[in-house]
Amino acid sequence: MLFGRLKKNPIKIADKPVVEWKYTTCGYCSTGCSIEVGVDANGEAITSRGVGSADVNRGKLCLKGIFEHELFRSSGRGRVPLIRKRFYEPFKETSWDKALDHSASEIKRIQETYGRDAFAIVSTGQIMTEEFYTLGKLARGVLGTNNYDGNTTLCMASAVSGYKRSFGSDGPPGCYDDFEHTDCLIAFGSNLPEQHPIIFWRLKQALEKRKFPVIVVDPRVTMLAQMADMHLPITPGTDVVLINSLMHVILDEGLEDREYINAHTSGYEEFIKIVEEYNPVMAAKICGIDEDTIRNVARTYAKAGAAMSIWTMGINQSTHGSDGVVNINNLNLVTGNIGKPGGTSLSITGQCNAMGTREWSSCSGLPGYRVLEKEKDREDIAKFWGIDPEFFPKKRGLFQTDIFPAIETGQIKGLWIVATNPMTSMPNTARIRKTLEKLEFLVVQDAYEDMETNEYSHVYFPASIWAEKEGCFTNTERRVNLIRNVIKPYAESKPDLWIFNEMAKRFEQGQKIKFPETTEGVFDELRQLSKGRMLDYSGMSYEKIESHRGIQWPCTEGAETGSPRLYTDGKFQHEDGKAKLIPLIFIDNNERPDDDYPFWLNTGRVVEHFHTRTRTGKVGNLNKFSPTPYMEMNPDAAKELGITHGSYARLTSRRGDAVVMVQLTQRVAPNSVFIPFHFHECVNRISLGLLDPHSRQPAFKQCAVKVEPATDQGTAAVRNKAARAF
Amino acid sequence: MLDKVKKRKYFERSDEPEYARLPQYDAPQKNRYGKVIDLAAEDEKLKGKSLNINGDTSVGEHPNRYKQHGFYFNADNCISCHACESACSEKNGLPPYLAYRAVGYVEGGTYPNYTRLNISMACNHCDNPVCLKGCPTRAYTKFAEYGAVLQDPDICFGCGYCTWVCPYNAPQLDTEKGHVHKCNMCVDRLEVGLKPACASACLAGALDFGVIETRPENREQLATQIPGFPTPEITHPNIRFQQTKTLPREMTRPDAIPLRYERDDQGQGGFKTKLRDIGKGKCWNLKKLLSSHENAHIAFTLSSQTVMGAFLLLFLGGVIGVTPFNSLETSSSFIPLLGSMLVLLTFGMLKLNLHLGRPHRFYRGFNNLRYSPVSREIAGVSLFFAGLVGFCLFSLLKGELFNSLKVISAYVAITGLVLGSWYMVKLYLIPARPFWNHWQTATQFWGNTLSLGAMLIAVMTSLVSGLVDNQVQLQSLALVALIGLAMEAVGHLFHGWDMDRQGGEGAASQYEQNTTYGTSSLLRNSLLTTNLIALVTVSITGLSGYVGMAAGCLLVLSILSSSIISRALFYVLVIPTTMPGAFFWRNKGFQEHAQESGLANMPQVGVLPKH
Repeated sequence: MLFGRLKKNPIKIADKPVVEWKYTTCGYCSTGCSIEVGVDANGEAITSRGVGSADVNRGKLCLKGIFEHELFRSSGRGRVPLIRKRFYEPFKETSWDKALDHSASEIKRIQETYGRDAFAIVSTGQIMTEEFYTLGKLARGVLGTNNYDGNTTLCMASAVSGYKRSFGSDGPPGCYDDFEHTDCLIAFGSNLPEQHPIIFWRLKQALEKRKFPVIVVDPRVTMLAQMADMHLPITPGTDVVLINSLMHVILDEGLEDREYINAHTSGYEEFIKIVEEYNPVMAAKICGIDEDTIRNVARTYAKAGAAMSIWTMGINQSTHGSDGVVNINNLNLVTGNIGKPGGTSLSITGQCNAMGTREWSSCSGLPGYRVLEKEKDREDIAKFWGIDPEFFPKKRGLFQTDIFPAIETGQIKGLWIVATNPMTSMPNTARIRKTLEKLEFLVVQDAYEDMETNEYSHVYFPASIWAEKEGCFTNTERRVNLIRNVIKPYAESKPDLWIFNEMAKRFEQGQKIKFPETTEGVFDELRQLSKGRMLDYSGMSYEKIESHRGIQWPCTEGAETGSPRLYTDGKFQHEDGKAKLIPLIFIDNNERPDDDYPFWLNTGRVVEHFHTRTRTGKVGNLNKFSPTPYMEMNPDAAKELGITHGSYARLTSRRGDAVVMVQLTQRVAPNSVFIPFHFHECVNRISLGLLDPHSRQPAFKQCAVKVEPATDQGTAAVRNKAARAF
Repeated sequence: MLDKVKKRKYFERSDEPEYARLPQYDAPQKNRYGKVIDLAAEDEKLKGKSLNINGDTSVGEHPNRYKQHGFYFNADNCISCHACESACSEKNGLPPYLAYRAVGYVEGGTYPNYTRLNISMACNHCDNPVCLKGCPTRAYTKFAEYGAVLQDPDICFGCGYCTWVCPYNAPQLDTEKGHVHKCNMCVDRLEVGLKPACASACLAGALDFGVIETRPENREQLATQIPGFPTPEITHPNIRFQQTKTLPREMTRPDAIPLRYERDDQGQGGFKTKLRDIGKGKCWNLKKLLSSHENAHIAFTLSSQTVMGAFLLLFLGGVIGVTPFNSLETSSSFIPLLGSMLVLLTFGMLKLNLHLGRPHRFYRGFNNLRYSPVSREIAGVSLFFAGLVGFCLFSLLKGELFNSLKVISAYVAITGLVLGSWYMVKLYLIPARPFWNHWQTATQFWGNTLSLGAMLIAVMTSLVSGLVDNQVQLQSLALVALIGLAMEAVGHLFHGWDMDRQGGEGAASQYEQNTTYGTSSLLRNSLLTTNLIALVTVSITGLSGYVGMAAGCLLVLSILSSSIISRALFYVLVIPTTMPGAFFWRNKGFQEHAQESGLANMPQVGVLPKH
């Protein structure tokens, strides 16, 4: 005691009566952090912390993980199944049996009346791998609908498509450890501090040990752009031009890895013809990056011993997202930066188990990176499941973003939505509302009954959330990690696996196929089906995954651990074992700003929220950092329009209008505005979401809008508040 | 002696990463302010004591246990990921509406040459803990252990004075719980050799912790200031900074406070806090002005000053014998006047007491007479109240003895009055609140003591005995009121000039006075001018007849209105020298919007609805 009382009182600091720490993996983004949840004597989850010995996060968590234990008891959770005849009638509570029976009979009715494909399933990147696999088995093996896809179309489809086009298969070839070895890093449209804080931390740790150039390509001055050695504020939607021109310089100046190109790639002749056209002088005019900078970046990247590229939605959510990914791959192929420590093309994935759905859900084909288009793949799976291979379609059906238009035009009459919220997440909300209205039957399966899509459902299945269940997630660096059951499911909510299994029982074919009851039983099927394949799980078990704090596939049977990198031997998954150099021309099909709609509209993520806020919008200590939507706008542009900081503005586009609070900042260009995508009835009222021709992913990041002050600030505030149920 | 009980903390673990452990770098003997870093060096008895955290009576064994620790903030690296503040809120189980640590920012430049500078700030466990000194209840202790400044919510009675004096917005007044709480340096973690939760959670190599004046690995600077951070001279805070990256010449805040930070013209040297004209127009905002959290202070200061002024005149007349106030004691209005004074003072004290988060702990207000001007003010006013009660009581009783007791009571009261009104001013002279930290506080408070005191006597005597009873006395009272209002007016004039000249938070307050409350303050100025002219007239001519009566009534209303508006402006306009907020979090502008629009009704918005 220096000042104060002579007789000190005992110190009281919030104490947490943790009786047990339970091992899980974070259920938000794809970084794949290991989390321990502290449980008290009553079995309630009372605290979370990063696992100190986990390689991914090394004891750290971002703010969402720090409060993840609060999810279990957050508001809006679904207690019991709900049912109604018409979406405009009130829900009635019902039993699981009735809800499942009714849904099964509606599915049967629709499929019998309009054909198997008239019932569609839109799934997610949020549930466990075992659940994805089971849903795939149900969709492909029992219901037999070919209109089955995940919401990963909104985030990772372009990466998947780009990997497949370049390397012959999906699967990010690199890992976080590459930061420790690289000599140059380019981040294309990736804002790690905001979207993947723990990956940023890993990058920062590497930089503290050993400085290497970091180059950020982003139209917005993000925190990563500020931290970078070079920031390239690119014109939206012109990444292909920039990368073509980088490669032009590299090839023109002979900085390429000729040996690698010759040994491991195909298509060079066609490729070089296009690249030759994109000299920096011409490219600078399109992409807005001056020619000297282009040359400087190209030389820096090519001359680095090992160089790596990372990207996220800035590339994926473009009209040329898949091309953007291919071109990043091209850049790394011509510089020989694939499959070596510090040299990679690493897509920083979105959802916690986006990888799990890509690997095992059968959305785009069949489990274990198998495709419907290959006879052997169809036969393998049909045999394993014990069904007729002819039951499978021979070509993949509709993508998620094509399923909604098919509902609009009447080809699809029934829909099952699992843990995704298109009413907030899809572009052009008004169109989605009209689409969902048309469904004869919509079943929504989600942990939250207040999620906005439930407004149009006929049946609602209350699902259990995260560590109320057990199973695996795969992260960005192909690390399979385990979620142990921490707490029993809320009220009458049920694990998604249970729901799928119960649904299967209600179909004749479902009774014939084995649906293991435990996730570990399902995991065993994954091991068998992946044995000897690129994504080999056969060396993994739950015990081993937990003790290693996650294992990167491939992990072959008997192997000590997994593999940090793919393609280390230069062998790719195309028939000829080579990677393809694919020439790309720039197609300028974006809705560009014009006299009527003079601003680029860009959307993106904020660190405190995840997706449509169904979870983070309920946790006060997260939500408080952005409790209501806002728009970043350049103060110079705002001044001309008479828009002030903190006031409401009205935005209009060719789709509709939105009201949003304005934050003036020089972080955005004078002809550009930025709005986080998390909020209901906001940016997606006006977004266009033009679809990528390969991946069918919407271009959330580019469209044109008009901005004006909201004439009545009071009315604008009321309108904004009315759209916020949470 | 009791056996030492060591309890295993829930957060202890075998795989604790190295970055979370307290480092052991060599520290200098003294910090830059000349203070010895080893806090137990001069008093061995301070060593070896348990902190008694949550019933754990063991003693931490860290070799640096008695050295002053502090935070290290590398502003070059902070990315505003909120991990530090979230780890803090999670560990301390804090509700969404308040936080011990907060990240705000300033920004500048022009696209794409734009820079945002994030600042994470909690308690700085200062060498000179003004919170501790200001707290009337002695809820604060500065420990020799780690130099932590800890506050005990169980002692606090929720007056919020510590939140006024702290330049860093560290203590948080929890209006739901009715007490203050703040950063506890995670001393429970320190005792087992771990850094605080915030520093352990940092994802950018920005926030760190250790013995003060030591640099973490890979860090270059040990600066005491970055733009947006208040001057360290007030409290000698235990925080050190790195900020090496070149910043734009001008940085602005995203919150609603009209401030900017600017380097000098050569772009050299530190940043100065300056006013930022955000083009606001003149408004009334009367409702906002008169419904602030500090309304109880308006009621208390005005009513106690009125009573003090009236008593001062009674004392001058009755005890000293100054004419024409010596006739007051014998007039028929004397007892009603005393009654009104008692009622008014009781009302003021009650309002003040009820505005405490924990009114039943009012008696703790005297606990810190040694340091706290609040304790001394409370003591002074209480003494005055006791004296006044005695004075009233013995005025009712006849006899020599009672008369003597009455005189004694009068002296007691006058002593309380002098002490109370001195410390009532003193407690507002807070370096972290430039708008108050000016002699204008004295001229306003003492000026109002005279003007309102004289007015109370005039009103009471006129009510009881009629207006014309004693014109000389009325004119004298008008003169006293005139002097009081003149003091106030002169104070306002100089205050305005000084605030504008000073720049920074004072100028920002002044800007708010001329814009957000521009029309209201214009009304106050007009009323004040009118009152001055009217009082000159009355002190020369007196007041008589119905016209005089009506004019008198108007004048009383006018003086009351101007005093109330003045006092409300005094409280509502103060802008502390605190850290910048963010666009939503710790932005007063958004908080008010959330309350008005109803967004605050959702608890997860993190703003408490207005009561």
